Amino acid sequence: MTSLSPHSATVALLLADARLPGGGHAHSASLEPALRGGMPPADVPAWMIGRATTVSLVEAGTAVVTARLLADAGPAAGSVDAPDDRVDALVRAWAARTPSPALRDASRLLGRGYLRVARALWPHSAAVRVVARHDAASRRPQGPGRPHGAGAPPRAVVLGAIAAAAGLAPADVVRLTVYDDAQTAASALLKLEPLDPLAPARWVLDACAAAEEHVLRVAACATPEDIPSSGAPLTEGWAEAHALTTQRLFRA
Amino acid sequence: MPETTPPARALRLGVAGPVGVGKSSLIATVCRALADELAIGVITNDIYTDEDARFLRSAGVLDPERIRAVETGACPHTAIRDDVTANLLAAEDLERDFDPLDLVIIESGGDNLTATFSPALVDAQIFVLDVAGGGDVARKGGPGIGRADLLVVNKTDLAPYVGVDVEQMVADASAAREGRAVVALSRTDDASVAALRAWLLGVLERFRDGEHVAQDPGPMAPHFHADEEGGGVLHSHADGDEAHAHEHAHTH
Repeated sequence: MTSLSPHSATVALLLADARLPGGGHAHSASLEPALRGGMPPADVPAWMIGRATTVSLVEAGTAVVTARLLADAGPAAGSVDAPDDRVDALVRAWAARTPSPALRDASRLLGRGYLRVARALWPHSAAVRVVARHDAASRRPQGPGRPHGAGAPPRAVVLGAIAAAAGLAPADVVRLTVYDDAQTAASALLKLEPLDPLAPARWVLDACAAAEEHVLRVAACATPEDIPSSGAPLTEGWAEAHALTTQRLFRA
Repeated sequence: MPETTPPARALRLGVAGPVGVGKSSLIATVCRALADELAIGVITNDIYTDEDARFLRSAGVLDPERIRAVETGACPHTAIRDDVTANLLAAEDLERDFDPLDLVIIESGGDNLTATFSPALVDAQIFVLDVAGGGDVARKGGPGIGRADLLVVNKTDLAPYVGVDVEQMVADASAAREGRAVVALSRTDDASVAALRAWLLGVLERFRDGEHVAQDPGPMAPHFHADEEGGGVLHSHADGDEAHAHEHAHTH
């Protein structure tokens, strides 16, 4: 086994690639709920900019702070069975900024898939191990009907652990998060509405450009309290309604 | 990180095949035939609804809690092959919530003839055709028809009405499969259900004994068969070259 490491930019490309098998293809970044909830398709470009400058920054800030707090994680503290206090604080901060249970549940499912990716690709990373242990501990006392542990890490926290493992720069973590969200919606849009497949590619770039003025601010977040709390109440409501439907292409 | 996988997890069995060949019905038949002796869970991969899951729940063959639907983002092929995350997590959840399970059946969303399960998701897989789809489909071959662990030719009771010679179809299938198992099934024909049941119990026994190795039907690719004289023949099953006899054992 070689000890050479890929450049952090390469890791960012890998994570942004929809072909990476982490379970993301079954999600629409809240687009299907929005369209089913009555948002006109013509509003999608503006809606994508809205996400890039609100909810995506919550996710990005969570990942950035996670990466900072776990950068020199060392071995997980406490007993093997106990949740990790640092991860717990991050999950709580993120959950407080994500009021919709349906979105929290979907994000934890994505986090679980991402954790499989992280453990397979960075098995020796202390940050990944800390989050994996927290995940296992948070799922232990479960029963039927509660498939995902309430304290389990969402995708943003797992991304933060990967960022720590791969040495991703905080600003790149923010850009990656914004891009991934926008591209997920763009890709889902082609399955939900008829349009020229190149049109949403333009909107992805526009959304990322709109977020750019926030990148350094979010990249500077150092504590769970610093994580932006910019929400999108309509999206939260649509997500709750969508979770109750029986005819959906995407999980959320 | 110690894995907490139970020493003997459930056998994971995939059921694939085109739309409308009776995959859900076959699963209901399996549950009916084996629910008394095996603890079973089912995961459905509907493309647009949870119709299949609801059909199975309403069939009353299994506790409804043990039947779960996952979304596939309009890509049933991806969900069982390129990115199995959602199905894998659902299988882990079922096995944990209803521990110990003997069998988890994963139903693919109806897809084309090239859709097969990744061995990363299932231990064994059934590919289903039906007589109403046309007597020539088995002869056309494909990875599922050629190399799934079992090929089921379903709805044989309809053969007289659609002008299909079941014996010929099974003979074509057996030729395409180089002797791998084929069951001509009708849920109203007890002997055929018994044959399906016996096949499944046989796989389960070999799985528990550690003798069963998951096979990948894989994509159709040209490959080489060496013969005893040191020569050989390069062929592709997609060519439909039935004239090439497979009387010798070989691995793909």
